[in-house]
Amino acid sequence: MKYAFYPGCSAQSTAKEYEDSAKAISKVLDIELVEVPDWNCCGAIDAVYAFKPLYSIALAARNLALAEKMQMDIVTLCSACYFTLSRTNKILKEDSGTKSKVDEALESAGFNYNGGVRVRHFADVLLSDIGLQKIKEKVKVQLTTLNVASYYGCFLVRPPDICNFDDPEHPMRLDELVETLGASKVDYYGKTRCCGGSLGITDEEIMLKMSKDILLNAKNSGANCMATACPLCHFNLDARQKDIESRFDVKINLPVLHFTQLIGLAFGIEPKQLGLHRNCVSPRKIFPLTVANASKAGKSAADRNL
Amino acid sequence: MSHEKDKLFAEAKTPQPVTREESRRDFLKEVMNMQGGEKILECIQCGSCAGGCPTRFAMDYSPMQIIKMINLGMKEKVLSSSTIWVCSSCYTCATRCPRDVSFATLMMSLRNKAIRENLVKNGAKLNFHKYFFEVVNKYGRLHEPELLVKLLDKTDFRSLRSNASLGLRLFKKGKLQIRAPKIKQTSWLCTILEKTNEKESQ
Repeated sequence: MKYAFYPGCSAQSTAKEYEDSAKAISKVLDIELVEVPDWNCCGAIDAVYAFKPLYSIALAARNLALAEKMQMDIVTLCSACYFTLSRTNKILKEDSGTKSKVDEALESAGFNYNGGVRVRHFADVLLSDIGLQKIKEKVKVQLTTLNVASYYGCFLVRPPDICNFDDPEHPMRLDELVETLGASKVDYYGKTRCCGGSLGITDEEIMLKMSKDILLNAKNSGANCMATACPLCHFNLDARQKDIESRFDVKINLPVLHFTQLIGLAFGIEPKQLGLHRNCVSPRKIFPLTVANASKAGKSAADRNL
Repeated sequence: MSHEKDKLFAEAKTPQPVTREESRRDFLKEVMNMQGGEKILECIQCGSCAGGCPTRFAMDYSPMQIIKMINLGMKEKVLSSSTIWVCSSCYTCATRCPRDVSFATLMMSLRNKAIRENLVKNGAKLNFHKYFFEVVNKYGRLHEPELLVKLLDKTDFRSLRSNASLGLRLFKKGKLQIRAPKIKQTSWLCTILEKTNEKESQ
């Protein structure tokens, strides 16, 4: 299956490992990700919108116009991009006044968008187009030692009229995925609670508190790792975890993985290829178990071959 | 919930915004023309938005209060409140609203309104949006290190130290992209900016 791939800015900088692991598992699952040529920033929720609304809609629409030329669904790794691009589709469909202004701006720069692109999140592609059955067939290492708290955050499931990956209050699709990989799911209340998003830059204190609540909630519910589907959530929960620990004087030490890394581990892909060395809270304490399982699995396979 | 209403009621009674009927209507009308403000008159003050809001603890007025204040025409108070800047756009309020008011979307529109009316008290918030726009308009993509350096408060030693430690952590993990990720066609950025500016002022 072929998709117009829109990694988003973060997946190529602070969350490089997310893109790497997504590409690695795509290879196993026969998904072809064709990067949108010369894609640009989507406008990042309201970061540009609050300053220049029309300009930010035109920014997002340019990406959609580029994908329209490719005649494929546009697939993104980032939940914020997923929201921003889907919202642009909705605005252009419903608000004819804005549409004509944006169209004119795009035309002046040589682009043209007719509204025919479907915006997808990579998780949705995996679960809807590929399916759990096919993923299960590729699992080489059962991640039995992992208790995974799947974290959906905001834009995978909210607002439901724009981002409809799953139920907005009680999503379960990532949990089902986790179980398919042989791991146990963790039920906890924080799975759709906001991590603070870009408040980490402008209002650090608020974001630190919000992310702390989520991390502790997951940990106290028995998780030994978390899985995210958004580079910004991952940044707040993983890269800022040390700041949270020192600010609130708590020990958390909870590895946070991109859900693609988790799938990669189950597929038996090398940790380095999945970029696990880039995670700030070292997942080493959880993956010796899985790597040990892997070598065991490899051995038993070798035994069988003999 | 009731003390929130009391506080609001007391404020509405105090003489500060002498809102004549017309000016009250003007602001309300303006908000109703914004993205997210279309259904504001449908609000029944049930408080679902305030109850589910994860950043309520840091706001001066709760979401339901802001809606009521818009109804009362308290323009300056609404636009200079911390609420519109503390909202993390998580859309819990809009998801739970039984009357379909998209409060989170309205917050984005009000941020834009506050910037245009020069009513932003917190300089860091204004700079975030301004610099984010500048960086994206320069490269076509976000270059995080440049944005963060621009936003750094060079006079605050504590924040400098914590930012340096975060920067070092990211650098060690290979997460800091030093070179800016410039797209090939940057000329269209200016074209689109010019054109949208022109349209916006119409």
